[in-house]
Amino acid sequence: MIEVRFGKQLPNLLLDIDFSAPSQGLTALFGRSGSGKTSIVQAIAGGLKPDSGRIAIGDRVFFDKAGGIDLDIHRRNIGYVFQDSRLFPHLTVRNNLLFGYKRAPGEHRFDLGTVVNLLDISSLLDRRPHHLSGGERQRVAIGRALLAQPTLLLMDEPLSSLDPPRKSELLSYIEGVRDELQVPILYISHAFNEVVRLADQLVIVDAGRVVLCGPLMDVASDTTVAPLIGRFDAGSIIECTVATHDNDVELSTLGFSGGQLRVPRVDLAIGTRVRVRIRSRDVAISLSRPMDVSITNRLPGTLLSLTPRDGPYVDAHIDVGGATVRALITRESSGRLGLEPGLKVWALIKTVAFDSRSVGFIRRARSTTSPLE
Amino acid sequence: MLTPLEIEALSLSLRVAAVASLACLLPAVGVAWLLARTRMPGKTVLNVLVHAPLVLPPVVIGYLLLLLFGVKGPIGHWLYEIFGWRLVFTSGGAILAAAVMAFPLMVRAIRLSLDAVDQGLVFAARSLGASRADAFLTVTIPLMLPGILAGLMMAFAASLGEFGATITFASNVEGQTRTLPLAIYTATQVPGGEAAALRLVLIAVGLALLALVLSEVAERWARRTVYGT
Amino acid sequence: MVRLVLLWTVVLIQAAFLTLPASGQAPREITVFAAASLTNALQEVGEAFAKAGEARVKFSFASSSTLAKQIEAGADAQLFLSADEAWMDYLDTRGLVAAGTRRAILGNRLVLVVPADKPVQVEIKAGSNWLSSLSAGRIATGDPAHVPVGKYAQQALTNLGVWAGVEPRLARADNVRNALVLVERGEAVAGIVYGTDAAVSKQVMVAGMFPESAHDAISYPVALLRPHDQGGARAFYTFLSSPGARAIFTRHGFAIR
Repeated sequence: MIEVRFGKQLPNLLLDIDFSAPSQGLTALFGRSGSGKTSIVQAIAGGLKPDSGRIAIGDRVFFDKAGGIDLDIHRRNIGYVFQDSRLFPHLTVRNNLLFGYKRAPGEHRFDLGTVVNLLDISSLLDRRPHHLSGGERQRVAIGRALLAQPTLLLMDEPLSSLDPPRKSELLSYIEGVRDELQVPILYISHAFNEVVRLADQLVIVDAGRVVLCGPLMDVASDTTVAPLIGRFDAGSIIECTVATHDNDVELSTLGFSGGQLRVPRVDLAIGTRVRVRIRSRDVAISLSRPMDVSITNRLPGTLLSLTPRDGPYVDAHIDVGGATVRALITRESSGRLGLEPGLKVWALIKTVAFDSRSVGFIRRARSTTSPLE
Repeated sequence: MLTPLEIEALSLSLRVAAVASLACLLPAVGVAWLLARTRMPGKTVLNVLVHAPLVLPPVVIGYLLLLLFGVKGPIGHWLYEIFGWRLVFTSGGAILAAAVMAFPLMVRAIRLSLDAVDQGLVFAARSLGASRADAFLTVTIPLMLPGILAGLMMAFAASLGEFGATITFASNVEGQTRTLPLAIYTATQVPGGEAAALRLVLIAVGLALLALVLSEVAERWARRTVYGT
Repeated sequence: MVRLVLLWTVVLIQAAFLTLPASGQAPREITVFAAASLTNALQEVGEAFAKAGEARVKFSFASSSTLAKQIEAGADAQLFLSADEAWMDYLDTRGLVAAGTRRAILGNRLVLVVPADKPVQVEIKAGSNWLSSLSAGRIATGDPAHVPVGKYAQQALTNLGVWAGVEPRLARADNVRNALVLVERGEAVAGIVYGTDAAVSKQVMVAGMFPESAHDAISYPVALLRPHDQGGARAFYTFLSSPGARAIFTRHGFAIR
């Protein structure tokens, strides 16, 4: 169990943090800029000294104000992946990678070969950071942190300085790290799509406080945090299984508890479990099943709730066979249709709304135990 | 082509400058670190002392050295009693005078390069398990290399041209302390020595140009080694 | 921007005017270049001259060699007092000496000094092993290549037959006062300076006197310098031979010629 509990007065923010994360899988720390996310990571890594509290991973205590413990940065054994990679310019990629490896005490769980293959950086080993692209640099940075044999991997917005094609490329690699290596990851981001794709647990931070903490599905669909996620990023997350592929029309079918979703072809094996995010702005509501309309995904369900939002909008929660689909529609339309909770409605989602950029397809590893517990 | 006297002055100058600048190196790094990275009390005093040779007339510095390191001075007396070392009249004295005058230049250059080292990289090194000292040696110092080289070259060049402190402290002894500047001065004092003085001046100019070229080469090499550019 | 450049130019011109000598005015100041060994005595003479209602005298003391070279290069001096005839000859042959003004006015003795805390007494003459009474170490004097006291020293040591042995251990100073300082500070175990210099310093004592036969007579010639010969300077030139001045010189140990 990763325990993070501390207080700290910063120049323009009072931090009052209390959350815990499991010792396996990826926990995302999500919040807007200035919410305090980076300060939390700094406190865990040892770069920021809290005024009070306790930070520990399992029985390794890093900070305990009451007990007078404050481990030095270099003793915390935490792998830190920086937003700006921070590779050492005077060393080759290989020597960058081995920097922490050489200094890690005890048995080395992760070795150079494994990490290099996982991150596809074998061709870069003798180059200097100066000659690498942004994506390559981040992969090396992740490798370097891993080879330091960390008990926790901290990733501080590792994708924010990359352009979109690099971002999704790197996301795949991070998924690989999450699934193949047994090291808990704390992932900081202000981009919700990254969270959706990677996280098992989600911690939402706002104005120096933890607003909500828990499994991704629970937290993401909680109505109170919707404003924090941003009106146009909010949506629902549904767990599906890849059912079929139609190569001639380049579409795939995903099945879930409430029916099927038709999406652009995904490159995953049949039977793979995935998490699909549906942005509420992409969902329309109909009182009956429309027949002569181009929208393919027409899901029958029951209207659960209607919550007014700022502006002309209303946030509707629809129960579709056990899964919740959210729709963002205008108040006017809601009135025109006479919507009220309990009504049988149809959720309409365009296949086009699902694209690799805005929707997260994720691959789930089957391993469930962590040697760290 | 060169007379024995000229060769002697030249080689003495090179030797004194080389030893003086190398001797300054470690202390300069230490002082630069103290001034840039610590909050020690008395930092202002240290700063003033270190920069005094830049501000005071060289002859004054030479005289102060005489008071301290002459055989009747507090430090010089001790050196003579314990080790039998004399600094006045010896190349050791010339080296000390050159080193003291060049020291502030080296400290400034090194401090600039120290300040330029990205502290984020140091934090990264520490997060990877490096202690403060380890990170200083394996990350900060290598990244300072171009600046250290620049400081070294500057100290070398300054030592080549040092006159006032040398002649006041170490005196003007042929073969021991008569570096090129002192040799030129002596030649100008002797009747009919103008021709000899001119020759020595040309040698000095040639040396300075050579030092300039070498320092360019060294700095480019350092940049390539450190940054790979 | 233009105003800044204008302001800077004005300041620069003002500064230049301050440093350049004003021409066409009668100088209230006389500049005298004199050998270093005359420092204490001449300063007193200068004060006496000023107190007698005459102009102020400005001195520059250094080795006669240094001063002669400066005068040759155009230094603004009215009077030159050398510690040997050779450097006065140097200026004379270059036409820088005012005709008929050259006169030898003072004399001095050459002495061997040692640091006062390590006293030694020797008799300096040919054959006596006086050098062995000195500790191992350097003997300071002016550079025989150009400084008068050094030239006298080399002459004396040669005539005493010990020059070959002493030459390697010479500490060659730029002027006689620097040589004195080296002995005062104990850096040199002994020094060859003028008797008047030894009298000035309490940190050295005279170990012995060089026989006057061993070297050319130490003679201090004075002369008015040609391009800058002016009324006030002549007054000081004459004052140097006055009874008052002579009394000062004698008190400092100079011989009157």
